Amino acid sequence: MLLLLPLAITWFGAVALAPFDGRRRAVGVVAVGVMVAAFVALVRLGITVWTSGPVEMVAGDWPAGIGIRLRADGLGIAFALISLGVLLAALAYEVLGGVHERSLPSLVLFMSTGLTGVFLTADIFNFYVFFEIAMTASFVLATYGKQVGHLRAALTFMVVNLLGSVVFLAGVASLYHVTGTLDMDGVAERVNGAPTASVLLIAVLIFVAFGLKLGLFPFHSWVPLVYRDTWPAVAAMLSAALANIGSYGLLRFGAGLMPRELSLTASGLIVIGSLGILYGAIQAVSPRTAGEVIAWSSIGQVGYILVALGIGGPVGLTAAVLYSIINSLNKLVLFLAVGLRGWLVGAAFALAAFSVAGVPPSAGFFGKVAIFRAGADADRVPLLVLVVVGGALSLIYLFRIYQRDYWARNHAAPPSPLGARVLVLVLACGIVFIGLWPEPLLALSANAAAALTGGGS
Amino acid sequence: MILALALVISVLFGCGAFLLLKRDLIRMAGGIILISNAANLFIVSAGLSRGREPIYPLPAGERISDPVVQALVLTAIVIGFGTVAVLLGMIYRTYTARLAKAVDEGDETGRTPMSMPPEDRVAD
Repeated sequence: MLLLLPLAITWFGAVALAPFDGRRRAVGVVAVGVMVAAFVALVRLGITVWTSGPVEMVAGDWPAGIGIRLRADGLGIAFALISLGVLLAALAYEVLGGVHERSLPSLVLFMSTGLTGVFLTADIFNFYVFFEIAMTASFVLATYGKQVGHLRAALTFMVVNLLGSVVFLAGVASLYHVTGTLDMDGVAERVNGAPTASVLLIAVLIFVAFGLKLGLFPFHSWVPLVYRDTWPAVAAMLSAALANIGSYGLLRFGAGLMPRELSLTASGLIVIGSLGILYGAIQAVSPRTAGEVIAWSSIGQVGYILVALGIGGPVGLTAAVLYSIINSLNKLVLFLAVGLRGWLVGAAFALAAFSVAGVPPSAGFFGKVAIFRAGADADRVPLLVLVVVGGALSLIYLFRIYQRDYWARNHAAPPSPLGARVLVLVLACGIVFIGLWPEPLLALSANAAAALTGGGS
Repeated sequence: MILALALVISVLFGCGAFLLLKRDLIRMAGGIILISNAANLFIVSAGLSRGREPIYPLPAGERISDPVVQALVLTAIVIGFGTVAVLLGMIYRTYTARLAKAVDEGDETGRTPMSMPPEDRVAD
């Protein structure tokens, strides 16, 4: 019951709000209230998971093995919390700044349902279904603004991601073919009995699908086009919440379901990730609009997650989880700050930029330290150099935006609503606060990684 | 049977991928439809086994075909149908928005409003 609560709250909230005009302030406030309730329910579930182990339920009281299982473990809860938190912040930001379209609040709630479901399911086909709920809501959200540019971005986003979904669906069907089950535990158990070559092929299919979602280096071409042209709050939702499906999927399917294939391809993943870090950072130096720079930056940032996943082991996986969470927070603040004008905003942007570069005392520092430690444990010296170079480059490109947008621009444009600006500043201070007191987040990530490797909850 | 299905899936996917790369948005939607149907066929073929229909009471001693893939493909078809509907809606919205823009400003790009909108360079 506890497990269903966050899903049910957002789902019924979304359905109930769908007929109402989201541009009215009251509807937006109700939607934020529903999100807060779902977030509280998720925190409550999280406390149960952290103190007494994973929570499970089988839908419809079917015997285990036949019914579809929902399961909350450390990893799922960590990703669900950060994604729901990001959506909550982005929705509150949009409500404070004034909603432009009637469907926005209800769509954000639908997307929360889909995302929470993805992170709390223990069935690979159910994973696909929730994933499509979140994706469909995001396709419509991407058109927010309804200018030709927004529509073009939404079309590109939709076509590329539909292709990714088809590839993932093929991967799920093949996994079912070789294991005869859709339950994650069953798949993890039986996949070792299948021939390595066919499982490797499936692993590649799933890697491509999640790489597309996440905007990893060789599958990144849609990212700058889409993030440049979508509305800032929507770009924040897509890149800081929806993209978490990609990193969670890589962790769950790679380290959780197919660890043998993951260790076979580990060096390849590290190479792809390192190329992504360099390529994203170098490309981010040249573009002219802030959205594009952050998009290229995010391509580089997800490279770190892939590198950490490639290094593997408890240290590497903890680093991957920690980095995904911190990366979500950074991108949330960066995208939201880009959409605003007025004083306070530049400060928020600068704080998030320092976090991306990994300057202490921001949260990003601990993300970089985790990657650094994982690289040092694995004796990979080039990686250590890469982390430092990547951090330095990110400081350069983000401060080029700062120069152009906050120093050089004349502030003739009217400042944005104070509420939205204060919210962004509070979020940015949150990043610094996590940097000053990182222990809870470190424990959360270690717990999440332990859920993958079998130890702990 | 396996060969026939593999051929059908590959031809469907190939045609879909070809159409997907077109500039014309309706053809692009056609490509998505073909590709998602190739995926549906792929799911059916993942549980390909000859046998009796899986309806209770099950005949003893005979092979039963796998019912799970039917349920999966039914779900996948419904999801695919929904997404194609959203895609067509979005294409129509793009069409009307570009038509309005072309009427307002005069469209010199020479493309029809039914194609992917050109990228405008963002002014600094």
